[in-house]
Amino acid sequence: MRAVAERTIFLDPTLGWILLAGFSVLWVGLGIYWGRRNKSFEDHALAGRNVGLALGSATAAATWITSNTTMLAPQFALELGVWGMIAYSTASLGLMLFAPLAVRIRTLMPHGYTSGDFFRLRYGRATWAVFLIFTLFYSLTWLVSMAMAGGILLEALAGIDYVWGMTVILGVCVLYTMRGGLGAVIGTDFIQTLIIIIGIVITGFAVLSQVSVGEIHAELSANKPALLDVLFPAAIMAIFNNLLFGLGEVFHNNVWWSRAFAFREGVGGKAFFIGGLVWLPIPVAAGFIALASGALGVAVPSADMVGPLVIAQVLGTAGAIGIFIIVFCSLASSIDSLLAATSDLVTEDIWRRLLRPDASPAALKSAAQWITLALGLLTWALCAPRIGTLASVLFFAGPLVGAMIFPIITGLYWCSASTAGALGAMLLGAGAGLICYFTIGWFVATTIATAVSMVWMLAACALNRNRFDWARLKEDS
Amino acid sequence: MSFSAGFLEFAVWTALIWCAISALALGAMLLRDAKSGSIW
Repeated sequence: MRAVAERTIFLDPTLGWILLAGFSVLWVGLGIYWGRRNKSFEDHALAGRNVGLALGSATAAATWITSNTTMLAPQFALELGVWGMIAYSTASLGLMLFAPLAVRIRTLMPHGYTSGDFFRLRYGRATWAVFLIFTLFYSLTWLVSMAMAGGILLEALAGIDYVWGMTVILGVCVLYTMRGGLGAVIGTDFIQTLIIIIGIVITGFAVLSQVSVGEIHAELSANKPALLDVLFPAAIMAIFNNLLFGLGEVFHNNVWWSRAFAFREGVGGKAFFIGGLVWLPIPVAAGFIALASGALGVAVPSADMVGPLVIAQVLGTAGAIGIFIIVFCSLASSIDSLLAATSDLVTEDIWRRLLRPDASPAALKSAAQWITLALGLLTWALCAPRIGTLASVLFFAGPLVGAMIFPIITGLYWCSASTAGALGAMLLGAGAGLICYFTIGWFVATTIATAVSMVWMLAACALNRNRFDWARLKEDS
Repeated sequence: MSFSAGFLEFAVWTALIWCAISALALGAMLLRDAKSGSIW
């Protein structure tokens, strides 16, 4: 990892700090401004349950655009070729397929706050406890991987020290999420989405002004024909695993459920579908830049920095500024959402349901703010030593989230879905997936976990004679 | 069997134009929501 710091720096560190400071002031200022109207936990955690279509669509897309999307998509294209870009685009299906679920969630649970509420009311406390362990593990590892990526990328792009870069980006997100809650997260997400998409379009057209797609294809045919191979095995295997990992991530996590509760009635389904459509072309638009590296004569010593290398070559300092801003916005739009959704989950499912059932709405809002701060400090403490293997722990979460897909789908639509079915599906699926992860490889772990979980869940539904009363999900807040 | 130049051309240009239209559409949706007082 240290090698990253020793590579080419794309932007003058002083300019990097000025950009970092400027955007930090903007996000924190907006967070404070939008946080003024939050009086209760419902305002803070769910933006008053009244978010409209434009902000809803943008926040769905922005949260799903992480630094992985803007940095890993070019790397995927460089290593897995055309299939790599297309495989990455399938992650948008997670958002699109969540659209009908969001409608169902809002209908069944008009007073709900978190995905934990669903597991507790639908499947009981034991399944709820397993869900909390799985989802908190996933959320914390995602948060740690994003914050670490922030520090590493700011250091690689502008020579900003890893700890300082990570601290600033995490600190800024903690501050505006604490002050403004989900409203601030959704508002800043809209601005960040526009910045990211416009940045990708400008850099894409700039690359095409230097080299045509025909020239890129000819260079690849001559020198890297595997990248154009329709039957590239590694890429095709990755598709199913990534698709199911993405589905599991979206279907279970409170990042998405909190938005389903926060969007105005009638908005959720459309917003998630439009968010998926907005996200769909981004891996191709950002990824093809890597395929152009050969035709442009850009030497790529390390695949993970191919995007910035090509953009800096084509656009010079302006391109370096552009990629710095795109990466910063991509990171902030995911870190803030994770902080907000995870702190709301801890506040609602642990603080309120287990420790303080009589807490007032104002006290819950205050608790959510302190929990956001504590989560930020914990993330910082895990990221500061810069242990590279921590970020890769996120891949362990694939089987865990894959095992939750069918308990959620059947639990939302079938009254025959039972506690034994859900609990068994989650434990057996995750166990089988983790065994395959260590004995075969990451590329089959989520697929196996989902398949085992599905078989158990469907069999349990078929054998169950009891029928769930949907009215039990309409718990008062 | 390889992806053709025509397919790559189609994929890249479609993705870039799609992104541009998405940005415009989000802006237009925000203006529409603002006019009807339903941003949030």
